[in-house]
Amino acid sequence: MASRKKVLLKVIILGDSGVGKTSLMNQYVNKKFSASYKATIGADFLTKEVLVDDRLVTMQLWDTAGQERFQSLGVAFYRGADCCVLVYDVNNSKSFDTLDSWRDEFLIQASPMDPESFPFVVLGNKIDVEEGRRTVSTKKANTFCQAKGGIPYFETSAKEAINVEQAFETIARQALAQEESTDFNSEFPETIPIDIPNDSNGCSC
Amino acid sequence: MAKQEPPPSPPSPTASFYDMSDDEEDDYNTIKHAKSGRGVKLLFSKSKVYVHPSPSSKDNIPGFIALIQQKSPAQTSANRPTSSSSSKTIASSSLLLAWVPESSLGDAYDTYVKVDLSDSDSPPKQKYLVPPPPTTTSHSSAVGTYAFAVPISEVFSLLVRPPSLGWWFGSVVINTRAGDSFPALFFHDSECQSTILQRKKLARESFDISSDGGGMFWGGDEVLRWLKRYVTVERSGVDNTVYLIEPSNADKVGFGGKPASPEPGQSVPEAPAGAAKSSAGGAPFPSRRDGGMDPVTKALKEARWNFLEKLSQVTTFTRRTAQAVAENPKMPPQMRRLMRNPEVQTIQEEFDSARLYLARWAMGIAEQSERERSQRIWTAKDVLEMEESEVGDFEILDMEVGNMSMADKRKPVMMDEWEKWFDMSGRLQITPDEVKDRIFHGGLDPEDGVRKEAWLFLLGVYEWNTSRDERQVKMNSLRDEYIRLKGAWWERTAEGHVTLEENEWWKEQKMRIEKDVHRTDRHIPLFAGEDIPHPDPDSPFAESGTNVHMEQMKDMLLTYNEYNKDLGYVQGMSDLLAPIYAVMQDDAVAFWAFVGFMERMERNFLRDQSGMRRQLLTLDHLVQLVDPKLYLHLQKAESTNFFFFFRMLLVWYKREFEWLDVLRLWECLWTDWLSSNFHLFIALAILEKHRNVIMDHLQHFDEVLKYVNELSNTIDLQSTLIRAESLFRRFQRMVEAIDKRSNFPAPSVRQRKPTPASPTESNANGASSGADAAPQPKRQSVGDAVAQGIGLEKQKIISPELRSLLSRKVEKLDKAELKEHGGGVT
Repeated sequence: MASRKKVLLKVIILGDSGVGKTSLMNQYVNKKFSASYKATIGADFLTKEVLVDDRLVTMQLWDTAGQERFQSLGVAFYRGADCCVLVYDVNNSKSFDTLDSWRDEFLIQASPMDPESFPFVVLGNKIDVEEGRRTVSTKKANTFCQAKGGIPYFETSAKEAINVEQAFETIARQALAQEESTDFNSEFPETIPIDIPNDSNGCSC
Repeated sequence: MAKQEPPPSPPSPTASFYDMSDDEEDDYNTIKHAKSGRGVKLLFSKSKVYVHPSPSSKDNIPGFIALIQQKSPAQTSANRPTSSSSSKTIASSSLLLAWVPESSLGDAYDTYVKVDLSDSDSPPKQKYLVPPPPTTTSHSSAVGTYAFAVPISEVFSLLVRPPSLGWWFGSVVINTRAGDSFPALFFHDSECQSTILQRKKLARESFDISSDGGGMFWGGDEVLRWLKRYVTVERSGVDNTVYLIEPSNADKVGFGGKPASPEPGQSVPEAPAGAAKSSAGGAPFPSRRDGGMDPVTKALKEARWNFLEKLSQVTTFTRRTAQAVAENPKMPPQMRRLMRNPEVQTIQEEFDSARLYLARWAMGIAEQSERERSQRIWTAKDVLEMEESEVGDFEILDMEVGNMSMADKRKPVMMDEWEKWFDMSGRLQITPDEVKDRIFHGGLDPEDGVRKEAWLFLLGVYEWNTSRDERQVKMNSLRDEYIRLKGAWWERTAEGHVTLEENEWWKEQKMRIEKDVHRTDRHIPLFAGEDIPHPDPDSPFAESGTNVHMEQMKDMLLTYNEYNKDLGYVQGMSDLLAPIYAVMQDDAVAFWAFVGFMERMERNFLRDQSGMRRQLLTLDHLVQLVDPKLYLHLQKAESTNFFFFFRMLLVWYKREFEWLDVLRLWECLWTDWLSSNFHLFIALAILEKHRNVIMDHLQHFDEVLKYVNELSNTIDLQSTLIRAESLFRRFQRMVEAIDKRSNFPAPSVRQRKPTPASPTESNANGASSGADAAPQPKRQSVGDAVAQGIGLEKQKIISPELRSLLSRKVEKLDKAELKEHGGGVT
C-alpha cells in the first residue's frame, strides 16, 4: 500500500427529500444549478478530482433518495465510506430534526471501525431563500454540531453557489484523514481487490 | 465455417468460352452458354455477401456481389472496351450491379470465385463469362431468394454502411432511380477470401497507419472502387453514408456535397472524378478510401480492444495530462481528434474512470448508428439485434399470427381500427387477447386520442365485456367517488385530524407531494408553466407560482393518499401519475386509471422494500438462467444485487426513455400479453444489449451502476421491445426443456460434480468465490447449479421466482400484506 497510489475518497450525502443533496453535488462538481432536478431514485454518484495539500485525490460523491424507506437498500453504498455529509434545509425544521436519525442510521449501516471518530459534515442549505422563511437558526445548528463531537458546519446555497466550494474542501480533507487513518490499522481491509491480475490496470484509483 | 470456404480455384479456366484474351475478343455476349445460351462478362465479384431475409442467422443467404458487363443494345462497337484503360468509357447502361446467391450458380460458381480472387486493381485480363442474372429495376417482396442485377444507369444511390460497433457486418443497399431499395447486402468480410487477402496486402503496403484516413479495408470499399472505374460516384453531403451514382446537377444540389462540378475541369460525366483519382495516383489503393469505418471500429476490428486499452491507460491520467497528450504533435491524428472531441472532454470531466468512459462512448456510437439505421433501412434492424446479442439463437418473431403479418402488427393502433373492434352498443367484438396482442406489438397512436379510451381498459377501469352505456354508468359513479375522497382529505386538512400522529403524517405527505410535483416532468409543456399564484403562501414554491395541472396532480396524489392510507404517497408515484394525467387531462378519470396502475405497482413502494427486493432477486435468477457467463462477471463485480436496475424497475423506465417512448412502453407492459412481469424482460434486454461492454470493461459495482445510470435517454425502445420478446421466448423454451427433462427419473451421473468445461470457466468460478462475500443462501441453489454447470442444462433449476414470470396474471398485494408492509398512517 504505497502512498503514491491514487486515492479514492468515498463520500455519502444524506438528508431528507428535497433539501438539495443533488443540487449541492452538481453545484460542486459541475458548477451548475438547475431548478428542475427530478427527485433522485435509487442512487448515483459523481466524481471530482481535487488537490488536498498537494495530494491529488478523487472524490466519489454518492447521492441517494431522501425518502427514508429507500434507505434500507443503502448498505451497498455506505460500505467503505470515508465521510458522511448530512444536509438539511434551513427553512424546514423537520429536515433539521431528522439529522440525528440520519447520522445514527449511517453508523449502523456503514459500521465504521471507530464510530466515535468517523467524520461527518453538516450543511444547512437554501440560505438564499428570503430571511423571513428561515426556521433553523445558525445557533441551533452550531449547538447540535458541538454536541455531536464538533462536527464541521457550513451554511450553503447550491443555487447561489455560496460556501459550496469551502464546504466540500473540508469534506475532502476530513475524508482523506479518515482514509489515511484506516490505512494504518487495516485489520479489515475494506475493499482491497483479491481479483486476478487483469484487474491491475483497472480503476482501483 | 469449413463448408463456407470457397473451393480452391482451378489452376486454369476449365470452360472454353472464357479462355479468350483481349486481342481476340469477339462479340462476347453472343457466345452461347451451356445452359442459358448467353453469357455476360463478369468484371468483378466478391464472395460471402449475404442477404439476411429474417432475424435468424440461419436464414442468411450467401452469395456474390458482382459487376457485370453486358452488351448494351445502344452500344456501338466503336466504344466497346478492349482493355482496362478504356474501361471508363463503358456506358453505364451496359453495366449491371448484381447479387447472386451461391446456390443458384451451378457451374458458374468457379468463375465467380476465380474473378473474386483475381487481382482486383483492374478488370481481369481474361474475359470471364457467366450466365446473365435476371435484370431488374425493382424488387418484389420476395426478398433475397432470387438473384438480381440492376443496370448502373438505373442506380440512384448506394447506402453504404461500413462495419461499426453496432453493426459488425458492413452493408450496401442499392436504391434505384425509380425509388426502390433492394435488400441490404451484408459483407461477411472474415469469410471472404479476397477481402482477407486484400487486407493483408494493404497491411504490407501501408506502414504508416496514421496516413490512412479511410479506416480499415472492407468489402463495401471494394464495390465503390469498382464503380468509380466506370461512373461518377459522389458522396452525399447531406448523409455521408449515401453515395450518388452519376448524379444529375439537381441531385447534387439536393444531396451532394458540393453544388455541382466538384473540381474544375471535371464537370463532364465522361471523365468521372473517381476514375481520374484512381488512375492518377497509380497506387494500388488510393490513400483515402471512401466508405471507411470510424476509427474506433477500425481499431476494434483490427486489434479488438487493444487500442482502447492503450487509450484507457492514457486517460487514467488527469485531464490535464490528457490535454498535454492531445497536444503532442507526435500523436496520430485520430487519437488527437478523439481527445479534442468535446463530448469526450465532458465525459472526462464527469468521471475519470477511463474504462467506464470508453465503455459508454463505444456503446454510444453503437446506439447512435442503430438509431440512424432504424430510420432508413428498418427491414434489416431486427437482424442487427440478433447479430449483436450473444445470447444465442433467436427464433423468427415474424411469424404469421392470425391473418396479420408481424410488420402490420407493429404499426400503432389508430382510433378507427380501435373503433372497428366494437359493435353499435360499444361492446368489444373481438377477444381481449386479440386487442392485447395488437397493442403489445404495435402500441397505440400517440396523437389521435385512442390512448384516452384504450388505457382505461388496459388499466382495469373498464371491464372488457361492457357496453358503452355500462361504462358511462361506471364512470359516473367513479367521478362521484373521486369527489367524495377528495372532500375527505380536504376536510381533514381544514378541520384537523383525530390524532397528532395522523396530523403529522398528513402534513408530511402534503409537503412531500408538493415538492415532488414541482419536480416531475416539468419539461413537458403541460407541467412547465408557472402562470397562477400558489394557493398556499407557506409553500416553498409560493414565490415561483404554479399551474393548474400541477395543482391537479397534487390533488390526485393527496386523494390517493386518502384512498390507500395503508401505503400513502411514496416518492416515484408522481412519475407514474404524470403520463396518465397528461393523456387523460381529466383529474377524476386519470385518478382511477392511476389507481388501476398502482394496484400492480404497490409492491414497489412498501416500507420494507420487499417487493423491490423480490423483483431484483427474480432478475438475478433470470440472468443466471439465460446468461450465466454475464452473471459470473456481475458476481465478480459484486453487482448481483442488481441494484443498478432499481430505478428502472421502481418507475418502469420512466427516467430511461423519452416521454413518448414511456407511454408506448407502459401500454405494452399493461397488456400482460406474454408475462405480467414483462418489465423484467425489458431489463434483461437492456442488460444483454450491453453485456459485452459490461464484461469487457466494468469490474466494480460503482462502474456498473454509473454505466447503467448513464444509459438514461440513450436506449432505443423499438429494438429493446423486440429483443425483450425474443428473450422471453427463449426463457420460455428453456423452462419447457428443463421441465421435460426433469420428468424423467434422475440419472445417477447427475449427482457427480461436473468437471468445468474449460479452464477459463474454472478460473472464473475460483475468482468469484474468492473475491466475493458468500452469496445469499436463497440464491445459492440456482447460482451454484449454474455456476458449475454452464452448458449443462440439467443442472439448472427453475426457481419459483422464475416460474412466476410465465404467468400473465398480475400479482397484487392483499390488504393484510399491505397493512403490514405498507408504511402508511394506519
